Amino acid sequence: MSETPPQSASITLGREAGHWVGRFMAMASPCEVLIEEAPAALARQIVDVAAGCAWRIERKFSRYRSDSVVHMIGSNAGRAVVLDEESAALIDFAATLTKMSEGRFDITSGVLRKAWTFDGGSVVPTQEQVDALMTRVGWHKVQWRKPVLQLQPGMQIDLGGIGKEYAVDLAAARIEEISPGSSCLVNFGGDVAVRYPRRDGQPWRVGIEATARAGAAVHVVHLSRGGLATSGDSRRFVLHQGRRYSHIIDALTGWPVPDAPHSITVAADTCTQAGTLTTLAMLRGRESESFLRASGAKYWIQG
Amino acid sequence: MSDDNNVSATLAAATCALLGASAAAPVMAEEAERWSFDTALLYYGESDDRVQDVSATIGAQRAFEDERLLNLTLTADTLTGASASGAIATDTPQTFTSPSGRAVYTTPAGKAPLDDTFLDTRFALNVGWSQPLARLYTLSAGLGFSTEYDYTHLGANVSLARDFNKRNTTVTAGLAYSEDDIDPVGGAPLPLSQMLDVGDQSNKRTSDSKDVIDVLLGVTQVLSRNTLLRVNYSYSQSSGYLNDPYKILSVVDGVTGDAILRTPAPGVLGPTGVYLYEGRPDSRAKHSLYAEMKHAFGAPVLYGSYRFMTDDWGIDSNTTEVRLRWPVGDTSYVEPQLRYYMQSQADFYHPSLVQGAALPAYASADFRLGEFDAVTLGLKFGHRTMGGNEWSARVEYYQQSGTIDRDQLIGNQFAREQVPDLKAVIAQFGYRFGL
Repeated sequence: MSETPPQSASITLGREAGHWVGRFMAMASPCEVLIEEAPAALARQIVDVAAGCAWRIERKFSRYRSDSVVHMIGSNAGRAVVLDEESAALIDFAATLTKMSEGRFDITSGVLRKAWTFDGGSVVPTQEQVDALMTRVGWHKVQWRKPVLQLQPGMQIDLGGIGKEYAVDLAAARIEEISPGSSCLVNFGGDVAVRYPRRDGQPWRVGIEATARAGAAVHVVHLSRGGLATSGDSRRFVLHQGRRYSHIIDALTGWPVPDAPHSITVAADTCTQAGTLTTLAMLRGRESESFLRASGAKYWIQG
Repeated sequence: MSDDNNVSATLAAATCALLGASAAAPVMAEEAERWSFDTALLYYGESDDRVQDVSATIGAQRAFEDERLLNLTLTADTLTGASASGAIATDTPQTFTSPSGRAVYTTPAGKAPLDDTFLDTRFALNVGWSQPLARLYTLSAGLGFSTEYDYTHLGANVSLARDFNKRNTTVTAGLAYSEDDIDPVGGAPLPLSQMLDVGDQSNKRTSDSKDVIDVLLGVTQVLSRNTLLRVNYSYSQSSGYLNDPYKILSVVDGVTGDAILRTPAPGVLGPTGVYLYEGRPDSRAKHSLYAEMKHAFGAPVLYGSYRFMTDDWGIDSNTTEVRLRWPVGDTSYVEPQLRYYMQSQADFYHPSLVQGAALPAYASADFRLGEFDAVTLGLKFGHRTMGGNEWSARVEYYQQSGTIDRDQLIGNQFAREQVPDLKAVIAQFGYRFGL
């Protein structure tokens, strides 16, 4: 597990309102790390470590890169592949989510994106197109005996639903290793992790962006410890026969989930748990709120 | 897993396997208070010690579940100074009876007469509520109340918005009604009655009122990811007492254009000229059309707007405004602003009235009903703090210049400046924060 050398040129570090703020782009999202009192050199090191984590995860699990593990698995579909420890742990985690969601969450469902474009339009594929892709979807068709993975020919995997939150938690853990007890906030595109309250004992204040609709309420969450993740985007959906389908695809049907909220935010012990709960809740569509309520998590829904 | 109660435990175990035990501390998160406050302190000052206004506003907004919103706005302002009364400047000092009817004040020769200096404090409270109604509708309603020593305003409004076209189009229809009671110092003068000597209140009524109905129809359209267009049409119908009780007109000689002089009754103080209180129609219908476009060029945002207003008093006005919000770093912005306003004069605008000529049905010399144009130049700076609060500072310079139609000036009036330019400075400091 070699660390990628930080591309320092694309990281900016500055002081704002008494904090250090490091910013960089990763996983198609603006990322930032806020650090309370630290010498400049340490602040720089903390941001480099966070960016290094983000970029390494992006490179390793991107479905767009030909040198990624995800691509390697897809291009070897039909053959058994031996995975490294980290990849195997992520696959194990994904398999648990598939079980928890009774098959609605499935890392093999990415191929369905060929049929569905979530641009707010109303273009919907035919059932035949969906059925044809569904022959290549289904975790039950995969042989997984850690660390050996064998997809059926034509199948692919996509870890996009887990990777960013995982990277946030990993970055927070790495920062703790190099600078134990330092108070900082890791935010990769709205997915957040915090290990300690601020120096003055006050919580971090995290704003949850309102949906695009005018007048929608903005929530501010006080976070002293834990993770926060948001799922949903008011611009990524499909309208079909008067119903609104979210951008999250139900791997059991091959169709996007109808009547899901515009946006779900969850606070949990880790960012990964928070992100997973938002996804599992989205997959419940209309029942997302009762699911979240039953889970006992703290959540905010924008309908 | 059908038993949702086990979701958290299963997930916690799986996450622990993925991340190791290092992150196992329990979450500490709670939603912040959802009150947000928008406060502003504003100074408006006209040159030559005319009107000065200091106002403080506190807006409080509380968001509830399901996008329901409560808005409260409290404003207090203090107005001092004087504005042009409408009487013409003359070569001799002029004495006027003050609005109270109990004293006189004098304007030096060659100066445009101003209202008697006043001090007024106003308090206003607005309460608004907005909530979704069915899936695509939003209902908003509000009540407003304001009071100052000679004026009380009570208003109510309601509007309904509906989203169409995947929420890219919003159509709004609104209705507002207000009733204003006017209780001027010294009473409301009868329209076109003459200014009388101190102590003679025979042409004053104690109070009067007006009501206003506004109808608004609007469309907001998302044109692209970066462009938003809003078009509003509004109709406003006022009726009742629409005069400014402190505005007057000079009665002048038809050849020289000089004010007709008079002498107060023996032993009493009173005006040294013949002045009539203005008389406006008792109804006014206004139509206005407003279009606003917002376009984001990446981070910078350009706002452009245009308003056309026309009314049955003969006033047409055009307002054009451009603002550009330019980011400075990640947390600040500057916003230069340019606004240009022009209006034509009301049909019954008369800089003065001629002695002996038939009295028109309506007449006013209020410069705000005359022809003028105005330019506003402004600059705003805003900064967002780490906690998500925002402060801003804004300065504006306003310059207004009036024009009187040459056909309306008589004799010596040509040689005197009858409508002095108005210059004003506006400074505002705002702070927005959440609790």
